Amino acid sequence: MYLEVNNISKYFDKKPILKNLSFSLEKGEILSFVGDSGAGKTTFLNCLSGLDKIESGKIVLDGLILNNEYTFVEPQKRDVGFVFQDYPLFPHLNLKQNILFNLKGFDQVEFDRIIKVSKLDSLLEKYPHQLSGGEKQRASIARAILRKPKLLLLDEPFNNLDKNIKSQIINEILLTIKKYEITTILVTHDTNNLFHYSDKILIFKAATLQQFDSPVNTYCNPSNCYCAELMGDLNKVIIDNTIYYLRPENVRLVKKSKYPVVINASVFNKSLYKINGKLFDEDLMFNSSQHFDKGETVYIDFNRKDLINFKKECEGYFEN
Amino acid sequence: MKIGGKLVLGLAILLIVLPILSLILYNLEVNPISTIINKPNVFIDSGYNTFYLLIITVFISIVFGLFPAWFVSLYDFKFKTLVDFLLYLPLAIPTYIMAFSYGEILSFTGPFQLFLRNYIPALSPFFNMDYLTIEVLGCVLGFSLFPYVYAASRISFTLIGQSYIHLSKMLGLNALNTFFKVALPLSTPAILSAVFLVSMEVLNEYGATKYFGVNTFTTEIFKTWYSLNDVGAAVGLSVVLLITVMTLYVFEQIYNAKTKINYKENTQLDYTFKKTITATKPILFCIIPILFGFVFPFIFILKNAIDNILSFNFIDTLSLAFNSISLSLLSSLLIVLVLFYILFVDKEYKARASKTLNIFSSIGYAMPGAVLALSLIIMSSQIKNNITSISLIGTFFLLIHAYFIRFMAVGKSPIKSSIDKMPDNLSESAKNLGLGNLGLAKKLYLPLNKFALLTAFLLCFVDLMKELPMTLILRPFNFDTLATKTYEFAVEEMVDLSSVYSLIIIFVCSVSLFIVKRINHN
Repeated sequence: MYLEVNNISKYFDKKPILKNLSFSLEKGEILSFVGDSGAGKTTFLNCLSGLDKIESGKIVLDGLILNNEYTFVEPQKRDVGFVFQDYPLFPHLNLKQNILFNLKGFDQVEFDRIIKVSKLDSLLEKYPHQLSGGEKQRASIARAILRKPKLLLLDEPFNNLDKNIKSQIINEILLTIKKYEITTILVTHDTNNLFHYSDKILIFKAATLQQFDSPVNTYCNPSNCYCAELMGDLNKVIIDNTIYYLRPENVRLVKKSKYPVVINASVFNKSLYKINGKLFDEDLMFNSSQHFDKGETVYIDFNRKDLINFKKECEGYFEN
Repeated sequence: MKIGGKLVLGLAILLIVLPILSLILYNLEVNPISTIINKPNVFIDSGYNTFYLLIITVFISIVFGLFPAWFVSLYDFKFKTLVDFLLYLPLAIPTYIMAFSYGEILSFTGPFQLFLRNYIPALSPFFNMDYLTIEVLGCVLGFSLFPYVYAASRISFTLIGQSYIHLSKMLGLNALNTFFKVALPLSTPAILSAVFLVSMEVLNEYGATKYFGVNTFTTEIFKTWYSLNDVGAAVGLSVVLLITVMTLYVFEQIYNAKTKINYKENTQLDYTFKKTITATKPILFCIIPILFGFVFPFIFILKNAIDNILSFNFIDTLSLAFNSISLSLLSSLLIVLVLFYILFVDKEYKARASKTLNIFSSIGYAMPGAVLALSLIIMSSQIKNNITSISLIGTFFLLIHAYFIRFMAVGKSPIKSSIDKMPDNLSESAKNLGLGNLGLAKKLYLPLNKFALLTAFLLCFVDLMKELPMTLILRPFNFDTLATKTYEFAVEEMVDLSSVYSLIIIFVCSVSLFIVKRINHN
């Protein structure tokens, strides 16, 4: 394994921030680290980068122990790139000087390519106070990628990007990361685009790992109710006195079935209507290309394999 | 109210401008150019000495101020709060007392050479030399003035915060490179402002330079004015000094405007270097300036005071202390009240007075005491000759006028920054609830800015307690302060006898600085 995080723990004032966290990544894989705000995601990145120390466990990168009980490699010696959440650029340097800061020897072709991908070509001579938040963010990412670190840590890196160019820039940046085979951990609380670019997803809550898996499995086979809800909308359906959960996109409209739904609302959402209704007194939502009137009855069906079943405790979780 | 505020501001500006104008007009009258041509050596020698002294003092101030500021701002170590306070304490010792003390400590009969002769006799001949030189004076002034650099860089390093420090680490810089490549460039404007203050203090210095026998512009002004009665030369020297100071001031303003660095202030520090360095290094870097800037001279003065306890005249000392404290209290109060009024009106009525106040108070602070005193005497003479027969020379009015011009800038900064932080909608709400101007000042501005007002008051008070050159020239006849008496004893080579006066100044200033530090800490 290229990156090995083994049983690491971190406490703050005796309160656990990371509790026995373990996972591993292959070289060039992109991991999305998902969790609520304040869950300890940034502390986790600080531990990986060396800005903070772990209290127990082991972090190994490319065969080198970065931190364990006996070893602590200084952040400047780890070859880890970090794009901070507030994307700081040195205010006394212009954008080009910021990107090339402390970089000994660089490939001009690669520099030009990354600058182009990040759409920073015309901004190189500008100083940070003359740039927008999105431009600074792109510059921070470009600076980190140009160094081709062994491990790249991105803390909420796409928050401030301009909506018009956001998806294009994200795609191109991730393609570059993939091209250079930079193992990347991307911390986010925005789950909308996770599945497009992640090789693995790690869901984190209450200082503990909830699920570490491929995007497909995280979505289709969530390990618990928190993961299921985090990854997308869920419907509660009761079949044969057993509670199941079902993703809206797995609900399909049929002409007749044993599942009648009384429509409550039908809201146009871009290419589809988002339908809300009641199925045996339980709320149900699904998407349809068709508009329905309030009070109308429609019939739905689904594949049994798409039903998700959780432990009993989950019922309470969703009701809360 | 707005007109009232502008009137007070106008009056304050007039109080600053009139003496300078008088000096320049008088300069044209006495034609000092011919004096400069006739006595070029006076100007060349004093110019060279002033410049050389400035270089040494600035260098020592930077070395002693910058590195401790870095360690205290970014490292965590034992007794850090105490060390932080002690690094400000040299400000409690006036430069001339520092110079008198080191002059005695290093003299043939002083404790340093005595120690060498008794314990390391082999070394003593090498250290038996004249220490009253410009180089030693530069170092001594550096020991005394480094807290200006320390304070400015400490604030700057703290504001830079962990974002940039973390970033530089992640980009491969170690602590040393982070200091030189990130912290230092980001703090250059702040450090340059501090260097400017140090330079102003050196140019203003009289007691220490006189004691060390170093002829600078200021000592030459005193000499030509008092001893040689050569008014033309004194005015010429004053104008040259004024031009020098103004040039430095303009340079500092232009440089700071050009290099104004916009960065997101980040006071969130986690002392991330604490584990990367042993505690001895930061303590060593901090302890040396504390030893030279406070501990050595203080112990020497304390020992002298104890040795001379029998010759101590309680009534005289009490009277001198009363003079110093009452004059400083009164002047500080006046300065703070005027500033509060101007800044209150400025904020409430958007009178845009603060920029004007900023320029003129800075000019006032930049003017060396001797030049200012001379300007005020010339102004008073002209008023006496042309307007009224009343002479203001030798009155408290003129002395307090001089204090007002010179120390307005000291009081302005804390009050302005505190009032600036008040959101506009606060007073709008208060007005909506029926408060008039007096009510606003009393019930809103005063309670919200009370700590800033107290800080401004104490900072002015400390500077006034230590003030020497202007007091020496402008004090009423037969009126002495602790500072003037200390100076008189020292130039009569009776430093021992002035120790109690020095101790009182140091004690009062230390307590005031302690209160300022506590206020700002809380």
